Amino acid sequence: MSVPASQAWTVATYVLKQKLRGRKRYPLVLMLEPLFRCNLACAGCGKIQYPAHILKKHLSVEQCLRAVDECGAPMVSIPGGEPLMYPDIGRLVEELVARKKYVYLCTNAILLKERLEAGVFTPSRFLSFSVHMDGSRREHDEAVCREGVFDQAVEGIREALRRGFRVTTNTTLFENASPISMQMFFDEMMDLGVEGMMLSPGYSYAKAPDQEHFLRRQKTNELFAKMLGHPKRRWKFNQSPLFLQFLMGKQDFDCTPWGNPTYNVFGWQRPCYLLQEGYARTFAELMETTGWERYGRGSGNEKCRDCMVHSGYEATAVDRTFTIKGLRDTVVATVSGRL
Amino acid sequence: MTERTLEGWVPSERDDLAEVIESAFDYRGDVTLVHRDGREIVGYLFNRNADVPQPFVQMFPAASDDVITIAYVDIRAIRFTGRDAAAGNSYAAWRRRREVEKSSREDA
Repeated sequence: MSVPASQAWTVATYVLKQKLRGRKRYPLVLMLEPLFRCNLACAGCGKIQYPAHILKKHLSVEQCLRAVDECGAPMVSIPGGEPLMYPDIGRLVEELVARKKYVYLCTNAILLKERLEAGVFTPSRFLSFSVHMDGSRREHDEAVCREGVFDQAVEGIREALRRGFRVTTNTTLFENASPISMQMFFDEMMDLGVEGMMLSPGYSYAKAPDQEHFLRRQKTNELFAKMLGHPKRRWKFNQSPLFLQFLMGKQDFDCTPWGNPTYNVFGWQRPCYLLQEGYARTFAELMETTGWERYGRGSGNEKCRDCMVHSGYEATAVDRTFTIKGLRDTVVATVSGRL
Repeated sequence: MTERTLEGWVPSERDDLAEVIESAFDYRGDVTLVHRDGREIVGYLFNRNADVPQPFVQMFPAASDDVITIAYVDIRAIRFTGRDAAAGNSYAAWRRRREVEKSSREDA
């Protein structure tokens, strides 16, 4: 695991507080989407298919901060859209850091070098650039449907590291992923000097153009078991070992759809980051009026059947860490380097 | 892959309004909503809630930044007039374009 001790401590104390308060449902990471606009149109993405006037809209910094305060989660992930296209991204991040929120700015990094050179961001232990990297050059450029993006992202990562920023990578895997290629990719990223890597199987958005290459549950288990069966000690993953074991088929979890609540220009999205079944005006309304029992694999909901995405299951894995078995499995994986 | 889109669909009066609203909510293009008072509102219908005492839809009009809320009972009709942004298979198109570029490079 490569999460810094201060961040792990913040998350651990937050989760323990929720448990002591007897709070059954609590958010862990706020998914804050200030805009849907993006400078890529990736085949597996279902986030950007909107009319032009919707793509031009964005949240104000004040709207974003209200959502952060309402939600109270210790971590804020800023996806989108491409957050580096958000005009007030510097001020937003500054405000979040001032609130001691751990920020993951999820970017394709095309604009990263330019924004860093413009002095938009200041290094902080609370800020990490989470760079979208779907594999080595060929795989990544194919996934994002544009050649040259991998090289731009690497350039952005180098610049961010040179300036003292935390950098992680965020990789979505599809059916055509090769375990050997991915292992080489892990080496490549660690050689670059990133702090850690995040992995997740893709979710088959109904609106995504490419529907043919999403992983089904059994194939996900097979792929991750091959890929992570004998992990090198130098590979650092910025996520719970229990979540990785879940992807390998070694843990059985159900989804925590409220774990990563999503706020965007439409409001609080029901029920999760991936499904759009309506919007609530406030976080409290989202939590109180969403029929949570209708979601997750245990519910029998067909849309949830094959989903193993980190926005639904990482929160379960973190919650499970605070059980005797979960703690034992986490300690064993962390100490031994085996998953 | 066969592509299905509701673009251009004009539901008839026989179509169930609640189902039309569901389709409009799922649609990734603008719609034209005909209000009971005769007004026509063009915009993106991003939310609906039928589980409340007074079911409603919410829209971002194409020409304004303000969200408008309209009760189901005030909706006369909805037409699927805007381009469906989710239609098409850009991944396949990109693959085809890439293949063409590759073979033309090889020919040269």
